[in-house]
Amino acid sequence: MKISLKSIKSLNYIYETGFDPYDYTPEEIVEKIGLQLGNVESVEDRRGWYQDAVAVKVIECVKHPNADKLSLCKIDDGGANQNVQRDESGLVQVVCGAPNVSQGMFTVWLPPQSIVPSSRTDEQPFELDARELRGEMSNGMLASPKELALSDEHVGIIVLEDDGRYQDMQPGTPLTKLLNVDDVIIELENKMFTHRPDCFGELGVARELSGIFGQQFTSPDWYKTATIDNRALATKNETLLPIDTVNNVQEKVPRFMLQSIANVEFGKSSYQTQLNLAKVDIKPINEIVDWTNYFMHMTGQPLHAYDYDKVVSLSSGERAVVTTRMAEEGETLKLLNGKEIELSADDIVIATDTKVIGLAGVMGGSETEVDENTKNIIIECGTFDMYAIRRTSMRHGLFTEAVTRFNKGQSPLQNDRVLSKITDWLWGFAKGTLASPMYDSTNFDLQADNLNHVIVKLNFINSRLGTVLEFAEVKKLLESVEFIVSYHHDGSPEDDPTMIVTAPFWRMDISIAEDIVEEVGRLHGYQNIPVSLPKRVMKPAPYNPIRKYKNDIRTVLSKQGANEVLTYSFVHGKLLENVGIDPEEYSYHLRNALSPELQFYRPSLLPSLLAKITPNIRAYEGQSNNDFALFELGKAHVKGHQDETEKAVPAEYQRLSYVRAADQKSSKNFKNAAYYEVKSVIDVLTDGKAAYLELDTNKHPITAPFQIGRSAIVEVDGVVLGVVGEFRSEVSKTLKLPTCCAGFELDVELLMKHRKSPVYRKLSSFPSTFQDITFEVGSDISWSALYAILRAEFEVVDAEDNLLYDITPGEIFVPEDSDKKRITFHIELASYEKTLQSSDVNTILETISKVAHERLEAVRI
Amino acid sequence: MLDKKIEEARVAIRAQLDTTDNPREILKSPAIKDLYAQLSELPNEEKAEAGKRINDFKNEVISWVHEATSSESESSVESIDITAPWSANVPGDQTANPLPPSQGSTHPLHQEIEHICDIYRRMGFVVEESREIDDDYHMFTSLNFPEDHPARDDYDTFMTDEGLVAPAHTSTMQNRVLKKFAANLENNEPIAVIVPDRVFRNEDLDATHEHTFYQVEGVFVGKDVTVGNLIATLSAFMTEYFGEELKTKLQPFYFPFTEPSFEFAIERPEILKKDDSEEQKWLELLGCGMIHPNVLREAGIDPEVYSGFAWGNGIERMVMMKHGIEDVRHFESANLQFLRQF
Repeated sequence: MKISLKSIKSLNYIYETGFDPYDYTPEEIVEKIGLQLGNVESVEDRRGWYQDAVAVKVIECVKHPNADKLSLCKIDDGGANQNVQRDESGLVQVVCGAPNVSQGMFTVWLPPQSIVPSSRTDEQPFELDARELRGEMSNGMLASPKELALSDEHVGIIVLEDDGRYQDMQPGTPLTKLLNVDDVIIELENKMFTHRPDCFGELGVARELSGIFGQQFTSPDWYKTATIDNRALATKNETLLPIDTVNNVQEKVPRFMLQSIANVEFGKSSYQTQLNLAKVDIKPINEIVDWTNYFMHMTGQPLHAYDYDKVVSLSSGERAVVTTRMAEEGETLKLLNGKEIELSADDIVIATDTKVIGLAGVMGGSETEVDENTKNIIIECGTFDMYAIRRTSMRHGLFTEAVTRFNKGQSPLQNDRVLSKITDWLWGFAKGTLASPMYDSTNFDLQADNLNHVIVKLNFINSRLGTVLEFAEVKKLLESVEFIVSYHHDGSPEDDPTMIVTAPFWRMDISIAEDIVEEVGRLHGYQNIPVSLPKRVMKPAPYNPIRKYKNDIRTVLSKQGANEVLTYSFVHGKLLENVGIDPEEYSYHLRNALSPELQFYRPSLLPSLLAKITPNIRAYEGQSNNDFALFELGKAHVKGHQDETEKAVPAEYQRLSYVRAADQKSSKNFKNAAYYEVKSVIDVLTDGKAAYLELDTNKHPITAPFQIGRSAIVEVDGVVLGVVGEFRSEVSKTLKLPTCCAGFELDVELLMKHRKSPVYRKLSSFPSTFQDITFEVGSDISWSALYAILRAEFEVVDAEDNLLYDITPGEIFVPEDSDKKRITFHIELASYEKTLQSSDVNTILETISKVAHERLEAVRI
Repeated sequence: MLDKKIEEARVAIRAQLDTTDNPREILKSPAIKDLYAQLSELPNEEKAEAGKRINDFKNEVISWVHEATSSESESSVESIDITAPWSANVPGDQTANPLPPSQGSTHPLHQEIEHICDIYRRMGFVVEESREIDDDYHMFTSLNFPEDHPARDDYDTFMTDEGLVAPAHTSTMQNRVLKKFAANLENNEPIAVIVPDRVFRNEDLDATHEHTFYQVEGVFVGKDVTVGNLIATLSAFMTEYFGEELKTKLQPFYFPFTEPSFEFAIERPEILKKDDSEEQKWLELLGCGMIHPNVLREAGIDPEVYSGFAWGNGIERMVMMKHGIEDVRHFESANLQFLRQF
């Protein structure tokens, strides 16, 4: 929402609102707005833009001797400029390219050294000079309305006498005397006013400004007071241009008002009016349309003008029919912007009895547009359901000034006031005759109380703000922006009175006590509120175990040289397909994804990490140590898996995903298959508690990328935590993974749940004995099978003899062309009672070997 | 009848599997779609049983695909003893090839989140996590956003086909944390929670805009909690975070879930000042406000008795300012050259 300080000043001048922004500097106003109203997006300080611009008379105008499209002019600036070259008669020569330049006209001259106003907001403002154009001296320029930043018009230079008000002007009159150009335009962020329909009108913003400066604001009488009765009376006898109107959708159109005016005479608006609109980004069209926009910008109430005769021609009879109704599915409408749209049954439309003529509250139709031939007009002033307007606007992608206002919920109580004001205005300006009564779809009972009242206690306000305001102070603050505040005689104590606050009709946002708190806080100024920290009990805030655990994982893995990454929660369907996950089956699909890259929620984190391997391998290409591990802690979602406690939302799986990759050269140092490299990380995370089971299917999305035979299901305490392994060659090929590459994905919650807590055993005072033991087993016997027997048997030994033991894995050797393998373990044993002899150890190992032989045909060698 | 149809489909799909180069294609076979189409014609009491049978059949087809795709590659792969600690026939020290510890790093965003959490924890706040997929109720309705309200326009929210949302703010957790800790109030303790987590906005990417970013949500509810408390609490955090006392400023704002609502700005710390201009004077850090009574009520808390404040601020910008990072897209790039600097 852009506001002009000149316009706000003139509201005070015309209507005596009591607030003149020129009592303050623009800097003060901007700062005050920032503290007490909302964010200022931009400030356009136009003061000084026009200090050299003067009205001039073109005394001589001939064709430029060396250029077809240029004219050579001699202008009279009344001697206003001191620093310019003049001819013997005191005239200044200017070369002009405008087609409309002519001898005798009054226009505006920008002398050398002045800056073209429209270029002021450019990065490099354009400074004029005196220079030769095709061999003829040109001093400054004659300017178009666009160059003067008055409007968008750029077909020719400004013709001052087109504006009736400047008939008897003198050459040399400064432009600042002719037009209210010395303005400051402040743009306020719209978001701040989402709940403030009144602040989409300059009147509303002026009221707020007045309030925050502690001044009493008084709205114009015509705005404060309902005037419909008087108007109905004044026109009841004459109905030159009758309208048959029905509001068929009362629930979506709280109020619909029309007024016809006959025999209007109009053309382009005055430069001042054009400027008033253009500086707040509204395009001037013609006097009728411009005045509807002017009043919209003043009051926040959108208005629309129809050509009465065009409406009649689209009606079945001789009378104009203007109704509201819901559109029929598939009906079409050609809009003012030239586009033809197909309507939906959810759109409110304005229609004659044969045809849709407007998209209600959004944009008018082109078939009833007011144009230069229009003689009779209808002004519409309606109120439409904000939610319906928003849906329609979104559906058709139409974001107009009217939409911006209607979707904030304008008050239907202002329609009659604004409509009678503009008809009065047009009557004066466009010389028309009121040609119908003021049609009103809703007979508001003017005696009835249609205002919002809020009952609130003074202490409530103070206790929410942390202030100690008195009743009188609160009353004054609220009254300055035209609330009515009175004591509620409910027997409240003197120091905590209850008050009844009546909101003016335009404040559609006021309904609860907290709204009054906001109002008082803002008008009082948040900068004036005493601050203090809340009281707190001396009780430790509990830790969040999963967050703490994830931080532990981060520390452990980064200390092992791995790099934590973050990747998007959404992935390309192709990536999932490439690793063997069917996205349609497993992934939630975004219906409004930015691009296919981000279309699916990921059922596993691993594919995202796999996709990041190649770019990183490439980044370190040729370096000696192109070997890295990436890990991510994140969430995965599997379509159809619902949260166990909160059934309405999907389950979120906390996952840890990890990949290790090394290029050809770096992987030469690897002694082990990549599988074992990443498996060792899980052993660290699980304190060696993890069991590895053959992966026998790629069915689950988390297992899809893994190679059967070189991957394992990870289990702790019989609970599956995830999967670890190398990747299928298909996956490696499509994702261009290096040969040395493996990874895992684990469930973090389960990992945390099955953490090992330390079990302390008393230390022995006797030294340990160390011995290796090697078994030969069939190549089909797994290492862990043998290890499990050893563990179990040592547990027995421990239980019987109270011995401390430790088994660490040793070498695994597969002799060439053998179907056997040899597995070595390092054994450490200690007793609490004595120093063990090797014979003691051997006896134990013999027993264990016997069991291993019985169960696995393992031969001790 | 259904058996016969399934059998026909089985034959047809098997035949397709034998001839295709891409076994996945069979999952899109019209034969499967036809089977599901049959369902609607069945009487209601038979639907469940038939649906299960068709699902079983679909799973069977899926397993064919897995067989077909895994057998393609498996033949050439040598199996290993997955239970072993290392490969066979490695001479000498068999232990893994460790990465240089100096190469490791944790993510700068998580470092910062931890730093922020640490301060709030010391102030007595509990840390909770947010969700990455949520429903409209928590994202909007429970936060006093009516259906079709224009305030929703400010949250360009990703949505799934099912109508679930990718939360555009961590406030999606407000209703849950208020309920979870409501018992605190009965014990005369405040609810004090922060929620640092990932959020999403449907925004085009550039150097300062990410569609995926992190926010810290804060919620504080108790008896007689005031706007003055809100200012003091946030100021206390900022003082600790930036290591110096800084002037603060509240700017009125609008959020449907707070009344009144503000933007909170601090005087820009010297180290972050580019020049002495007015624009450089204030640093807008976060949105905040007094929790709207409807939001409290929706969580079963009586707004007549209790009041509170909430705030939410982005994390990326703080990290970017701290380290002079020029492009927000680095954070989710998984680019080691970026990550290893932290």
